[in-house]
Amino acid sequence: MIKLSNLRVTLGAFNLAVDSLKIRGGEVFAIIGPNGAGKTTLLNAMAMLVAPSAGTLEIMGRDALAPANRMFLRRAMSVVFSQPYLTNDTVYDNVALPLKLRGQKDAAAVAEALELFKITHLKDRNAKTLSQGESHRAVLARAFVTRPKLVLLDEPFGSLDERVKASIARDLREVLKASGAAVVFVTQDQAGALTLCDTLGVLVGGSMLQQGEPQDIFSRPVSAEVADFVGVETILPGKVTAKRDNLCSVEAGGHTLMVVSDCGAGDSVFVCIRPEDVSVSVSADAGGRRNNFKAGVAAVAPWGLEYKVELNCGFTLQAAVTKQLVDGLGLKAGGEVYASFKATAVHLIKRII
Amino acid sequence: MGFIAEGFQKALHLILSGDSEMFAIARLSLAVSVLATAAAVLAGVPLGSWLAVKKFPLKKLLIALVNTGMGLPPVVAGLVVMLFLSRSGPLGFLNWLYTPTGMIIAQFIIALPIITALSISAMQSVDPKFYQQVLTLGASDWQAIKICLKEIRLTVLAAVIAGFGRLVAEVGAVMIVGGNIRHQTRMLTTATVMETQMGNFDMAIALGLILLALSFAVNLALTLIQQDKVRAR
Repeated sequence: MIKLSNLRVTLGAFNLAVDSLKIRGGEVFAIIGPNGAGKTTLLNAMAMLVAPSAGTLEIMGRDALAPANRMFLRRAMSVVFSQPYLTNDTVYDNVALPLKLRGQKDAAAVAEALELFKITHLKDRNAKTLSQGESHRAVLARAFVTRPKLVLLDEPFGSLDERVKASIARDLREVLKASGAAVVFVTQDQAGALTLCDTLGVLVGGSMLQQGEPQDIFSRPVSAEVADFVGVETILPGKVTAKRDNLCSVEAGGHTLMVVSDCGAGDSVFVCIRPEDVSVSVSADAGGRRNNFKAGVAAVAPWGLEYKVELNCGFTLQAAVTKQLVDGLGLKAGGEVYASFKATAVHLIKRII
Repeated sequence: MGFIAEGFQKALHLILSGDSEMFAIARLSLAVSVLATAAAVLAGVPLGSWLAVKKFPLKKLLIALVNTGMGLPPVVAGLVVMLFLSRSGPLGFLNWLYTPTGMIIAQFIIALPIITALSISAMQSVDPKFYQQVLTLGASDWQAIKICLKEIRLTVLAAVIAGFGRLVAEVGAVMIVGGNIRHQTRMLTTATVMETQMGNFDMAIALGLILLALSFAVNLALTLIQQDKVRAR
């Protein structure tokens, strides 16, 4: 569906460089990364809104950099920006606009698109009078009215509150599943990305640092930057001192950690531990987990539906625990606990320097 | 200062008595300025919009030139048109000198930069992301420009009002190109100048008042349309 190689986009002092990216038909590809990483620039390049300075970009088997193909490709795809841009017309006319631009009239398609995003009751309202959430639904309906083969979504509901966002995301997920369209979407919301995507790319500072299955990226980031962005809270510099079979002994933070890894003895590494992989207990029994340390509780704070516990065991270790556990163990700053995690839960990133 | 009161009386008398010459002059004034404005809108709005959205070398220079054209003295426009249309000029064979067509051309040249420049700034007030979104919906450049113009139609209407206001009050160009020939190219403005020069101040003021009333009527109509659209938002 999309094939790009050695793509370079220069915008003032900013440089985007993506060496290779392939998106198959029907695949949902998410681009995540911090602000200013070039996510929107990459999406705009795919939407043929910015011209790359080098490289190739092929969409649906056609050269997307050739002006002659632009109109055909634009009419095969839909783009949704983070801001809902609607014209000063009724919702119905807004949703029907892409068809009108193609010289088509298809009342059934418009009705279906309105229904998919549950805004049929708003069809005669002026689009400028809609609420934020309704506006986002209208632009999504407009994006799907042409039954696009490719949908590009740029933080499709970035500015909405959580409840409205969740309800629109649910409807969008259904539509995406049913449409079979290839989707590229840009987001800063990793949890949202995980629930929607098949594959994931992490863009930092204009470079695609890692792409692949989301689980893979989240558990085995290739660099400390990716690890930091995908929610690995504990990243320690360390050194592999010994290795037996797959089991490495790693000196880090004043302790020896046992880690299952491909790294070899003598390697300098970053040790990555996700907060949800750390168990907290009052007894010294680690229940078979290879790494078990006595730790002081430095802080306990709510974290989404769970609690985040900052532990001090020679190094700072972040653990995610349930509210039940916090109450059950009476966790509070100044307490003493045992923190344990499996040898397979730790990920090592080789340090080049 | 009795002239003004007398002028009022005279104007009232001319209108109420249905003075056919006066009505013919007013009709010609209106027709020339309306047609010239319409032609300038048809050319200047698309031209200005296109200049606003397209990227090309020397764009800023071209926009600066258009902006300069807004200050083009009507007598200069009239002089150039006259030279082109005169018997020895390149377009002399058309025989348009001292005709309403010649005056329309001269006024068109005066209004074009005004309407183009105001269209450029109106179009540049559209969020570039809105324009991009319209392009991604599958619009050609012209389709996208049309949709954006519909969004900023109030501002475009203001450009039309500005252009018409300039033309209906303009005297230099129509004097040179039209020649103020009785029953043929005499306009309200040129007649006012003539009456003033002849010392018929009451008549001059009467003509001026009629011009003002005409201009008011047209602007009232345009403004009503514009404000109606404001309410429709």
